[in-house]
Amino acid sequence: MSYRIGIDVGGTFTDFVLVRPDGSLRLFKSPTTPGDQSQGILNGLQQLAADEQLSLDRLLSNTSVIVHGTTTADNTMIEMNGAVTALLTTQGHRDEIELRRGYKEDIWDPALPPPPAIAPRRRRIGIPERLDYEGNVLVPLDEEAVRKALRRLQKLGTESLAVTFMFSFLNPRHERRVREIAAQECPGLPVSLSHEVMPSAPEFERTSTTLVNAYVGPKIERYLGRLVERLSAAGFQHELLVMQSNGGIMTPEYIRRRPVTVLSSGPTGGVIAACTVARAAKTLEFVCADMGGTSYDVCLIRGGQPEIKSGWNWHHRYLIGLPMVDVQSIGAGGGSIASVVAGSLQVGPRSAGAEPGPICYGRGGTVPTVTDANLLLGYLNAGDFCAGTMKLQTAGVREAIQRTVGEPLGISTTEAAWGIYRLVNANMANAIRKISAQRGVDPRQLTMVVYGGNGPVHATAQAAELGIRRVLVPKTSPAFSAFGLLLSDHVVDEVRAYITPLVQADLHRVNALLVQMEEAARAVLMARHGRRSRTEIRRFANLCYPGQTFDIAVPIESRGTLLSSNDLTATAERFHALHEALHTYAARDEQPILRSLRLTAVGVTDKPELPRIAGGKPRSARKGTRKAYFDGRFVATPIVDGPRLRAGQRIKGPAIIEEPFTTIVLHPGHIATLDRLGNYRIDLS
Amino acid sequence: MRHKLKAKRPLRRRPRPVRRLRRIDPISVEIIRGAMETIAYEMATHVSLTATTPILNQSNERNATILDARGSLAALSVGVPQFMLSSTLPVRFALQFFGPDGLFDGDVLVANDPYHGGGHLPDYNIFAPVFHDDEMVLIASIQCHHADTGGAMPGGYNVDAHDIWAEGVRFPALKIYEKGIERRDVTYFMKINNRTPTFLGDLRAQIGAAQLGARRLKEVIERHGVEAVRRATDYMIDYAARRFKEEVAAWPDGEYESDVYVDHDPKGNKDIHIHCKVTVRGSDLTVDFSGSDTRENLQAYSTFGNTRGYVVAQLASMMDPSIPKNEGFFNSIDLIVPQGCCLNPPPERSVAAGTHHPGTEVGEAIAKALEQVIPRRCCPQIYKMGMPTVIFGKNPKTQQLFIDHSVDTFAAYCGAVYGQDGWGAMNVSFGNLIRATGEINESIFPVRHISRDYAIDSGGAGKWRGCPGSLYIKELCAPSQVYTYVVGMKYPMPGIAGGKPGAPNQLKLRCGGPHEQTVKTTAFYVDHLPGERYEYRYGGGGGWGDPLERDPQKVLDDVLDEYVSVEGARRDYGVVLSGSLEELTLAIDESATAALRHAMRHPVESCQEPSEPQAPSHEPRAASPEPRATNPEPRRN
Repeated sequence: MSYRIGIDVGGTFTDFVLVRPDGSLRLFKSPTTPGDQSQGILNGLQQLAADEQLSLDRLLSNTSVIVHGTTTADNTMIEMNGAVTALLTTQGHRDEIELRRGYKEDIWDPALPPPPAIAPRRRRIGIPERLDYEGNVLVPLDEEAVRKALRRLQKLGTESLAVTFMFSFLNPRHERRVREIAAQECPGLPVSLSHEVMPSAPEFERTSTTLVNAYVGPKIERYLGRLVERLSAAGFQHELLVMQSNGGIMTPEYIRRRPVTVLSSGPTGGVIAACTVARAAKTLEFVCADMGGTSYDVCLIRGGQPEIKSGWNWHHRYLIGLPMVDVQSIGAGGGSIASVVAGSLQVGPRSAGAEPGPICYGRGGTVPTVTDANLLLGYLNAGDFCAGTMKLQTAGVREAIQRTVGEPLGISTTEAAWGIYRLVNANMANAIRKISAQRGVDPRQLTMVVYGGNGPVHATAQAAELGIRRVLVPKTSPAFSAFGLLLSDHVVDEVRAYITPLVQADLHRVNALLVQMEEAARAVLMARHGRRSRTEIRRFANLCYPGQTFDIAVPIESRGTLLSSNDLTATAERFHALHEALHTYAARDEQPILRSLRLTAVGVTDKPELPRIAGGKPRSARKGTRKAYFDGRFVATPIVDGPRLRAGQRIKGPAIIEEPFTTIVLHPGHIATLDRLGNYRIDLS
Repeated sequence: MRHKLKAKRPLRRRPRPVRRLRRIDPISVEIIRGAMETIAYEMATHVSLTATTPILNQSNERNATILDARGSLAALSVGVPQFMLSSTLPVRFALQFFGPDGLFDGDVLVANDPYHGGGHLPDYNIFAPVFHDDEMVLIASIQCHHADTGGAMPGGYNVDAHDIWAEGVRFPALKIYEKGIERRDVTYFMKINNRTPTFLGDLRAQIGAAQLGARRLKEVIERHGVEAVRRATDYMIDYAARRFKEEVAAWPDGEYESDVYVDHDPKGNKDIHIHCKVTVRGSDLTVDFSGSDTRENLQAYSTFGNTRGYVVAQLASMMDPSIPKNEGFFNSIDLIVPQGCCLNPPPERSVAAGTHHPGTEVGEAIAKALEQVIPRRCCPQIYKMGMPTVIFGKNPKTQQLFIDHSVDTFAAYCGAVYGQDGWGAMNVSFGNLIRATGEINESIFPVRHISRDYAIDSGGAGKWRGCPGSLYIKELCAPSQVYTYVVGMKYPMPGIAGGKPGAPNQLKLRCGGPHEQTVKTTAFYVDHLPGERYEYRYGGGGGWGDPLERDPQKVLDDVLDEYVSVEGARRDYGVVLSGSLEELTLAIDESATAALRHAMRHPVESCQEPSEPQAPSHEPRAASPEPRATNPEPRRN
């Protein structure tokens, strides 16, 4: 047996989860080192080894798996310090990336600035070449123009090249030829070809995705290279695995070819953990919510699987057209700042972050935050916060809330704190309503799975607001983002465009594309994964009705590997049914349009067992009472010591359950039961 | 009729005590406001998900609103501000028409008539009253642009129409559901009066959205109590009014006038004139269009609702974006539009083309008037399109008729504003309209998207530069007919505060053959052979501020990026560059630039054109149509 380590790098802290050979878990946090995250990782591992009373070499040489979630790509996009990137396009399509299909993020503000340019117009050059919608060459590639363009781009200091030609996903010949010419003209220049990064229509989405890939690629490659080197020098003998935004993990070698897949992978670890833990608790339809210090991330889970979105994914003002776990984020967290603007209370999206943080952290924060309000309402334990590593101070909190919120609104300090709590809950509830509206789901039918340090303080109030009757808070939830890394599978996504009315689709071509994708995906998985493990293949047809923009991924089923025409008919019928379920109606007299075929290959990994809680005779876990605000007044509220609870014990609200890294607030009428898997199941009905 | 639509008579069954018994707590207001905006979002999303027509599910041309029982707008979710803002008046007509005892729980109504508060016939409003204890509290409303509306021409844009009936079927206010039961007679009647087979499906998507909104609003009322919801609604409306008035109070008092023009209407009536007088007096704002064109034979009118929408949308873009857009905002504008002028038509005239022109020029006129007071906030949130270039033909692949509305991706009309060059494709107001792409459309229609690159020097010069327009080239791969209406050739997008206008539009048809022709006003079904192209030089956005004040480094950057030519830098900005773009050796010739800029600022007496020595590349041809007599009896909103 050996150790497994999940490492999730966040803005402030790097979270480590260590699964020991006996299956027990340890959560550990260490400061993130901006610039080069691999330094902080090594520091943390050193510390972790020391805590386990091992040398670093001993720990790592006994570690079979390290899975890593990195924000390097996101930081590159936030700081806009990626490679000097250039773009070659089909002539006449030089400006797709600026035109953005007309989209702008704010329709009320004419002074909205453009997104920072990855490739300003001088580094975008149109090349004479053109394919038609079936991939036939209309205008042959002007190779001399390519050479000329490359020489010009070299003069402009280009460090990374993206190429997006019209319909290249149907016939990659021209794009590939550019790579060959680039190898001659500018040896060593990294080249991102659009048909490799995102082999599907339409051109704006593909251009944006390819450009971001080219921009973040060199940095990610350097970073992963350094990390792999450091880990191996420190004694780690296996291959590092990296989390992607589609919820699957892959090797650095694979990531290197499509680095854009790690962009916005940050929240996916938590979602995977939520899915695994909820599945074990027999919960398949739920919304999971992660409330940290600055953001509130929400994801809808159906059938135990996270929603995957591959259409209109905007990140850092660029569109990423690849399948991604559909996590939506609003600026609401423990550090969200409360203020009164022109007579109305606002909470967030501005955040005090971790530094200086809320006033009660005593690190120099002066503006009231959600955490400050929670402290005033008695929900947080001032003397024992964050596993006893922090004390919260009340000095200045009351005054600041009164001055900033109470006075301008003409209400008492307690009313102001309660108002902050109510409003942030309403904002978060609205975020959940919006994401369920997009999927046509009534949130009242769902369970809510909550994680992140601040989530359980607010979850029950939000659930009540939404009419949700069941909330699940796993004891492991504060470690979810790192723990989820160890619960993930290898995932390879392949997509091939084929645009045609489904009835007219050429069955041979469909089968050829499916086989091609499966072979490509299996080759990748095999290389990493070996023969012995299980691979699941999921195939989808992306279908829509004529005229619709956004398509639906409809599962394809067949007896053997190859589809029959009946299978296609069945797929069309499945599309009608799915459309009806999602969007209230099916237009069975219309012919669905096939946009593309998609295949997801999942290499199933061995996963650690979920820890269990001892049952037995209930024992008192009450460690005292505290005045906390419920139903319009302060009441003496029982404080429950979570770690002392046995499986099967029930707690009735009002009560506050304290776990080392989180606090669960039970309002009057709520009942929490701890199950054997360490989940608090909270019943609101 | 229009002046009666002001929201002033609450519709009530039993008398209610005077309001504001107690101040509602501001946190509940905020929570109820958030809930309403979320519901509006849910309604709009429902349509996007369920509609089959691209204009609804792709372009986001749908707007959800929540109104109180008087028909005052409380909250909204927006597709296009200009159109959303005209969605309250049809509801008010229905409230008046049915009276306090004529509407019931479970009713859903439809309205589209421009002469009963609407904008133009293709915009269908569907709304559902929300009851609590037999009393109407709120109304959930959703407006969508449909692909067809009956009438003489498919698509509702009959630029040949001589009256409203030629444009389509009119629905002033009709119950589609009564007490929760669908009126099949009505839906069937609507279905057979529309060409598009998907019409009923889209209508159902819209009905579903209104019902969803009503259901969710009931939950909010049950959760917070009916009085709290009423007070919160009033508070939100009062709050918006207060914020609006605070903004206006900061503007200098005075009367500010402007005159703007449309090249022509689709019938060729030239120089359609909009006169605008904005009066600022303390915190009061009056917008008066008296003096605008009253010729009797105009083809295109902007309805009162449409005019009002553009007024509000333009003003909203010029104020703090955080002010809520609700009735408090609208009602703070004292709007005067004389009936009979091009912005408030005489009865039963044709209005479809007028939605856009002179509709958008309303926004231009306000920006040009207020340019004298608050220039930094001025950027006309409009377009100079005429109408989309519609292509009809038989698709050789399917042997079926195809209609490509050409709502494609291209840049046009996007102006600069203080501190920001124009960028992207269109002005921010249209940032929710997602445009079609070449790869999808070429797979569906027999067309080819050859180019949409920015055209060099087409953005208006200024201290901040207007966004260039596209050189848009589309090739037709099957015999096709092109139908359109072009403006913005004589009167392109204006510059602001000394900025220069953008380049004008130019549309050439049948390019690539002997039959090339430039469109002067309209193109009626111009036949194209396979391989022929149309070339649309879309106009650029206007510049902001004196181009001679633009930082020469920025001009150099623009030349490197080929937004501006070396020649344009000299002519429009007075910036002299040495070296070559080809060789990447461009540099600013500081002394020559200083000398040229000096000469351009102080033209010598001997110069032949003393007024404009720098002769900007695309100044509109001297246009000075004679002022027209205007209707002496203005009506107030």
